[in-house]
Amino acid sequence: MSESVVSSTGRVARRGRRRWLTSGRLCGVLGLLVLALVVTGQSPELSGWENVRSLWQAGEAPASQLMHYAWWPRFFVAVLAGAGLAVAGVLMQQVLRNPLAAPTTLGVATGANVAMALALVFTPALMAWGREWVAMAGGAVAMGVVFLLAWRRQLAPTVVVLAGLVVNLYLSAVATVLLILNPETLTGLLVWGAGSLTQNSWDGVAFLWPRLLVGGAVAVALLRPLAILELDDANARSLGVSLRNLRLGSLGVAVFLTAVVVSAVGVVGFIGLAAPAIVRILGARQVGHRLGWGALLGALLLLLTDLLVQRVPGIFATLLPTGATTAALGAPLLLWLIPRLKLGSDKPHEHAMPGGRHTRPGQLLTMLALLCGVSLLLALMVGQGMSGWHVLPSAEVLEWRLPRTLAAAGAGIMLAIAGTILQRITGNPMASPEVLGISAGTAMGFIGAIYLLPGTTSTLTMIGIGTVSALATVGLVVLLNRRSGFVPERVLLTGVAITALFEAVKTFVLSGGDPRGREVIAWMSGSTYFVELWTAVAAIILAVILLIVTRPFARWLDMLPLGAPTAGSLGVAVSRGRLVLLGLAALMTAAATLIIGPLSFVGLLAPHLARMIGLHHARIHMLGAALCGAALMMLADWAGRQVLFPEEIPAGIMASLVGGAYFMWGLRRL
Amino acid sequence: MWSIIRAAIPLLWSNNVMRTRVWSSVVILWLLLLVLSTIVPAAEDESQEPVPASRLVVLNWGFLETLIAMGHPPAAAANLSGYRTWVSEPAVPESVVDVGLRNQPSLELLADVAPDRILLAPHIASVKPQLDRIAPTTVMRLFSPDGDLWPKLVSLTRDMAAWTGAPSAGDRLVRRVEARLAELKQRLPDDVPPLLVVQFMDDRHVRVFGDHGLFAATLERMGLRSGWRGKTNYWGFSMVGVEALARAANLSDETPRLVVVRPMPPGVRASLKTSGLWQSLPSVTEYDPIFLSPVWSFGALPSAQRFAGLIAAALTAPDQKEQSDE
Repeated sequence: MSESVVSSTGRVARRGRRRWLTSGRLCGVLGLLVLALVVTGQSPELSGWENVRSLWQAGEAPASQLMHYAWWPRFFVAVLAGAGLAVAGVLMQQVLRNPLAAPTTLGVATGANVAMALALVFTPALMAWGREWVAMAGGAVAMGVVFLLAWRRQLAPTVVVLAGLVVNLYLSAVATVLLILNPETLTGLLVWGAGSLTQNSWDGVAFLWPRLLVGGAVAVALLRPLAILELDDANARSLGVSLRNLRLGSLGVAVFLTAVVVSAVGVVGFIGLAAPAIVRILGARQVGHRLGWGALLGALLLLLTDLLVQRVPGIFATLLPTGATTAALGAPLLLWLIPRLKLGSDKPHEHAMPGGRHTRPGQLLTMLALLCGVSLLLALMVGQGMSGWHVLPSAEVLEWRLPRTLAAAGAGIMLAIAGTILQRITGNPMASPEVLGISAGTAMGFIGAIYLLPGTTSTLTMIGIGTVSALATVGLVVLLNRRSGFVPERVLLTGVAITALFEAVKTFVLSGGDPRGREVIAWMSGSTYFVELWTAVAAIILAVILLIVTRPFARWLDMLPLGAPTAGSLGVAVSRGRLVLLGLAALMTAAATLIIGPLSFVGLLAPHLARMIGLHHARIHMLGAALCGAALMMLADWAGRQVLFPEEIPAGIMASLVGGAYFMWGLRRL
Repeated sequence: MWSIIRAAIPLLWSNNVMRTRVWSSVVILWLLLLVLSTIVPAAEDESQEPVPASRLVVLNWGFLETLIAMGHPPAAAANLSGYRTWVSEPAVPESVVDVGLRNQPSLELLADVAPDRILLAPHIASVKPQLDRIAPTTVMRLFSPDGDLWPKLVSLTRDMAAWTGAPSAGDRLVRRVEARLAELKQRLPDDVPPLLVVQFMDDRHVRVFGDHGLFAATLERMGLRSGWRGKTNYWGFSMVGVEALARAANLSDETPRLVVVRPMPPGVRASLKTSGLWQSLPSVTEYDPIFLSPVWSFGALPSAQRFAGLIAAALTAPDQKEQSDE
């Protein structure tokens, strides 16, 4: 196992040619840009000297007070936050030997966000007492969960990033439920989640600098032992370093630094990922250099972004959050980075999918079909009305339940098949349509439609736009992975990047406090609310057709998990086979996302359930997964309508609360 | 079942023709999906003349407060617990059924309520096709990004009254609110500075209310001025950092007085005490900021009246001390 960890060190490929761009030169250029913005951005009402003097003393003039209490603190907060996040990123990447590790990818920021949302709704007094501690606790717990999940795989890079993604998705499902139920209370949290550096006193600077200084000092003290981590585990151990303690200690520092920054200014995306990655690409090899240059570059990047962002307001009637801006700028960087990563060989994973083999799969399928029938009956017949619970509803009520239940079933089937295909062709039991990023791409299309199209958007427009953006996302995934021959891990990482971009876009639009945000949340959280009967029937028919179309590929699906070389020698055109199957999976994901939104995890859960009860061959596995998926989604839709009646939790969110928990459990057992 | 399908599509099992079939089937399926997606019926927007309805359902707190104030509460409305927290007055009668979220009310429960007319605001018009199948649904505009808000509030109130079948109730409510505002206007001192109405989102960000908003429209009816000249969105507010308030004060020749609408997020009051900028805001140093009890900033005439009453009370009692509500 250690071998695969070492081989997947994931260093960015280096070329022998001399670089004209070094970390120093880049920082110099950025520094000049910052200087230009600072000089031109000073208050015109004050003289040059008064502008400088406002740094330590507020003059009588209101403009001087503005400089002293808002502009300068913001300047230093940007520097401190950027540097702190970059140092945290360097530590995480060094310790985990993972170029994609960063405060945001590991779930720290989302954890802090959810903790604060919970505190705002349930224990407001705790927030008044100290919200940074709430944020810190939430961030630490989230990252702890990520590590717990990846522990068994010795924190292998891909597993850590996948665990981070899932924890992020899961927590954002929880946050969405809270937001749907308490939109007014949590408006402020949307701003915080988008990372605004706005200051109105020196409190933020005073909070940040001593804490970051302590964290930074510990990081510097850890430099020498950290350099040993460049070696592989065995060599490092032979030098007498306690790897576990070193890793835990360094990660503890990284989490502390992140939580401090996050609790002071909110979620600032991608500085922690980008700064260390850039200095590494630019040739800073020693961890000490990376730490120093990384901190400087992080500070400059955030400062530059923030200075630019400050120029923009006045055009919009809302503030532009810096954190979401950096995140949106950083996602393309991540996409660019992925093809340049060395991730180890394309060999099959040694872990098999869970479950043995059942001797009489036909019997099992019948049982599953029965389960589906029972779920259907329950979803249709049992519910609540004006006079409490009832069985056997009136025709008027049934008219509403039937399409929703059918649509949920159809979406469940499609996601289940997509999940089965993805898990089999990647040979990775953790693959699922959500992870591919197609759902996220579709949802971005919805957001664009709600905000950019004037007036009311009809269901027709939404479906059209969703379809187009799903296709575009598939295209992007294919484009970025064509050269690597669709290596499973790379495809999944592309999905991670697209999901990250989606999260950035989402926080961006929600942070303005525009009541339209509620509609965005409604569309995104994917409910069967808007489904008409004919759509539901179409969904079911489509699901069955796709199930039939996928059947001829069962042979490929049986072979591809054996690994590319084996499958190739058995006569499978591996690259083309993967492409075709990916296309099918994407199609099904897009169709399902249109119905139940980007989150659900059913695409993961259903194939696993089918596998666990002993359905082994691709054909039977797929059919079993489809039945499981249908039953799961019908139950999720029903439960979502009943749990908080009359308030409704969307089926997609409901399913992801169950499915995400299962995913984490499964990841832990990997 | 599988053997049937297998028999029906034997060609697909041949590996030789697989490639072409794969591609053609993917393309065909995609076309199928596109065709399916185009036959979705588009929502047509028709405006109806108000017809009296005995069982109204409203999905907007502004509509709800208007109906209650007119004495014709609806049969059902959305998110009543939220209404009690954020709008609070007038109180919701026991008879009103809570149908859940404002943007996605429970359709089953609505079908059970069996209304004969549903009224909703334009920003959730995407649920109209669904609601139309339960009862004829009308989209009524409360806010609009152009022109004066007050006449729109008045005509909205009259329209709502027409829906309840008691048009005179609407006129009565309009007259009552306008008379009350006129009476309050008389009582106001002469030298009231412009009022900068804000609501805190967290300790660094506020919603500041301006053009097209309910508060600005109410202030204008009372002969008062709004202190925010900046841009506002559809609902008449702008989300800004606290430092933007200092800029606003710099831009106008007269220092505006701050009006802070509660509730304030926990911890904000404490952090304002140590905020250098807040403490040095001319609006804070020259006047005591007014802290108002919660008023629904996206409401209709009843909210306007409540806001006016609270403002007038605060302005006529200059020695008002900050009430602590945390």
